Amino acid sequence: MRAMRSFTTPLVALAVGLVAVGCGGSSDDDSSGSDKSAIKIGASLPLTGDFSEPGKAARQGYQVWQKTVNDQGGLLGRKVQIVVRDDASDQNTVVADYNALISREKVDLLLGTFSSLLNIPASTVAERNRMLYVEPAGGAPDIFNRGYKYLFFAQQATADHQGDLFAQYILSLPPDQRPKTAAYPTLDDPFAVPVLEGIRAKLEPAGIKTVYRKTYPADTQNFDSIANAVKSANPELLVHGATFADGVGFIRALDKVGFDPKYFFQTSAPSFADQFSKGIGEKNTEGIFYAVSWTPEAKTPGNKEFLDAYHEMFGNQIPAEDAADAFATAQVMQAAIKAVGKIDDQLKLADWLRSHTVDTILGPLKWNETGAPQGQFLIGQWQSGQSEIVLPKAAATSEQIAQSQAAASG
Amino acid sequence: MTQFTQTLVLGLLIGGVYALLASGLTLIFGVMNIINVAHGAFLILAAFATYSVWTATGVDPLATIAVTTPAMFAFGWVLYRYAVRRIRTAGPASSVLLTFSIALLLEGIMGLVWGNTSHAVRPAYFNESFHVGDIFLPKAQVYACLVAVGVLVALYAFLSRTWAGRAIRSSAVNPQGAQLVGVDVAAVAALTFAIGVATTGAGGSLVSVLYPFLPGSHYVWISRLLGIIVLGGMGSLPGAVVGALLIGVGETMTSTYIGPEWATAVPYAVIFVVLLARPQGLLGARLREDVAV
Repeated sequence: MRAMRSFTTPLVALAVGLVAVGCGGSSDDDSSGSDKSAIKIGASLPLTGDFSEPGKAARQGYQVWQKTVNDQGGLLGRKVQIVVRDDASDQNTVVADYNALISREKVDLLLGTFSSLLNIPASTVAERNRMLYVEPAGGAPDIFNRGYKYLFFAQQATADHQGDLFAQYILSLPPDQRPKTAAYPTLDDPFAVPVLEGIRAKLEPAGIKTVYRKTYPADTQNFDSIANAVKSANPELLVHGATFADGVGFIRALDKVGFDPKYFFQTSAPSFADQFSKGIGEKNTEGIFYAVSWTPEAKTPGNKEFLDAYHEMFGNQIPAEDAADAFATAQVMQAAIKAVGKIDDQLKLADWLRSHTVDTILGPLKWNETGAPQGQFLIGQWQSGQSEIVLPKAAATSEQIAQSQAAASG
Repeated sequence: MTQFTQTLVLGLLIGGVYALLASGLTLIFGVMNIINVAHGAFLILAAFATYSVWTATGVDPLATIAVTTPAMFAFGWVLYRYAVRRIRTAGPASSVLLTFSIALLLEGIMGLVWGNTSHAVRPAYFNESFHVGDIFLPKAQVYACLVAVGVLVALYAFLSRTWAGRAIRSSAVNPQGAQLVGVDVAAVAALTFAIGVATTGAGGSLVSVLYPFLPGSHYVWISRLLGIIVLGGMGSLPGAVVGALLIGVGETMTSTYIGPEWATAVPYAVIFVVLLARPQGLLGARLREDVAV
C-alpha cells in the first residue's frame, strides 16, 4: 500500500497547512495616526479567498468613512481608527478575528463583515460581548431569526424581499406580455436562494408555472449542462441566483447553447459594473435585470461627499456597491452614537436604531425588532451597455424598461 | 436520446481539457513522487499571462500557447533548480508543504499584479457553437479539446519515442536501475518538473477562454485534478486521460440527470468506490511494496 500511504501523509500535512494559514488572519492597521484617545473600531473582512472582491470593496467603504469622519472632527470629539483583519473568507477565521479584535486589540466598536455566510458566526461573537453589530452585506433571513439584540443589516431589505419590485413589475405586465413559465437555477448560497424563493413565492400563485428549479454547489465551473437543461425547459422568465463568477459563467453558457429568455433576472453579478460587461461581452448584457442597494447617481444625503472622498482616495473608478454599503453601515453606527452620545452601553445604541430611521447614502433605512431592514431594493437593468435603475419610478435613471431580449447570442 | 448524446459530448469535450490539465500533475508525481499542490496556481498564472497578452495584442488566446508553454517550462525549471530540488529526498509531506506555500505565494502575487477581480478572455468565438443536427458543440470547448489532444499526443510521443522521454519513464519505474544504465536521474527530475509545469502553460490558456478566473480559482482546480489522477492511478498518463474523461462525463451526466447540486459529489463518490476496489487507481501500477503491506 505504499502508493496510498505516501499519498495520505502529504494530505494530512496539507490539511495542517491549511489550518495554520487559516488561523493566521493578519492584522491590517488602517490608522493614519496613533492617537491614544482615538475610538478604535474593529472589523474582519474577506480580503482574500472567495469573497476577496467584495471584501476589499467593503474595506474601501470603511476607509472612506474613516477619512470623512476624521476630516469633520471625528466622533464624539475623538478621532476614529478602523482596524481591519483578513478572515480569508473562512467562517472559523472570522470568529477568531472578532474575538481577537475584542480581547486583544480592545476595540471600542465593531463593524460587520461581508456575506451572510461570515456574518452568521461573526454576529454571534458581537452579541455575546454585548457590542453593536451593523453589517453591510448579509441579508439571509436566517440571520434575523435568532433573537439577537445588537445586530442590524444596513441595506434596504433582507434577501427574500430583494426581488419584490421585480416580481411586482412582472405581475403588472399586460397578459399578452406576461411570461407564463419561469426557471430558477441558483447557487447554493444563503443569500442567493432566498432571493429566488421570494420571487417564486409571488409568481407561482399568480399562475407563472415553474419549469426548472435546481441548486448547484459553490465550486461549479462548468455551466454548459445546466444551461442546456434550462434551454430544454424553455422558460419565458429566467431568474438566476448567482454571486459573481458563476453568474458570468452561466450567461456565457446560455450564449453557447443559444438560449434567450424573454425576461432575465440575475442576483448580484450584474451589479459589478464593467467587470460584468467585460466578463460576458457588452452586447450580451442587454436587458438583464438585477436588484441593487446603491447607485452612484443617487441624490441621497452624503452620496456626493462619499463619491468625492472615494475618488480622492482610490482614483476615478466607480465605487463598487459593496463599498457604498460599507460606508452606509458605518453611517448607521455613527448616527446611533451621535444620538445616544456615548458608547459604553451599546444596548442603548441598538435600542435607538430599532426606533429610528437613519439617512444614509443608500437612502433612509429602518429596522424591525430583529434588526432586519424594512425597505425595498432598487431594480436595475442593463440597457445599451449601461446599468440603469428602472424601479422604483422615483429613483429611476431610465424612463423605459427593455421588454425582452436578455442573453443575446453572438 | 438527443439530450443524452448532448450531455455525453459536453462531458467528453470538457474531459479532454481536464486530461491535459491533469497530465503534468500525474507526470511529476510518477517520476518524482511529488504532489505538486501548486499545479492549480500555475494554471491560473498561465491564464493571467494569456489575459495580458490578449488584452495587449488581441492575439487569439489559443495561439498564445506557443508563448505560455515555453515560459512555464522555464518557470518550472527555475523553480525546480532553486526550490524543489532541495526537498527531493525529504519525502512527500515536505513537497506538499513546499508546493502549497508556492501556491499561496503565487496567489498573493497574482492578486497584486492583476487584482483580486474576476478576469475573462473573450475571443470572437467564446460564446458561439457548432451545430450538428440537434447537438451543439461550443466552439471554445471544441478548440480547447483539440489543443489538449494535440498536446497530449505530443507528450505521449515524447515519452515513448525519444531518449529523454524513455529516461523519464525509466526513472519513474526504477530510479536505481535507470542510474545504472547511465540515466542522469537528477537531470531527468529537473526536466520532468519543467515539462509538468509547461503543460500548465497550454492548460492555463485554455482555462482562460473557458471560464472566468481570479487568483483564488486555483483551489477549485487542484482539488478536481487531484481527484482525476487518484481515480486514474497516480503517475499514469493514460490513467489521467481515462480519469479526466470519466470525471468530465460524470459531472455533466450527474448535473443533467440527478441535479447540479450533486455534480461535484457523485464523481467523488465514484472515486471513493473505485479506490475501495482498486487502491492503486484504474490504471495505476501495483508496486512490489504495495503487495508486501
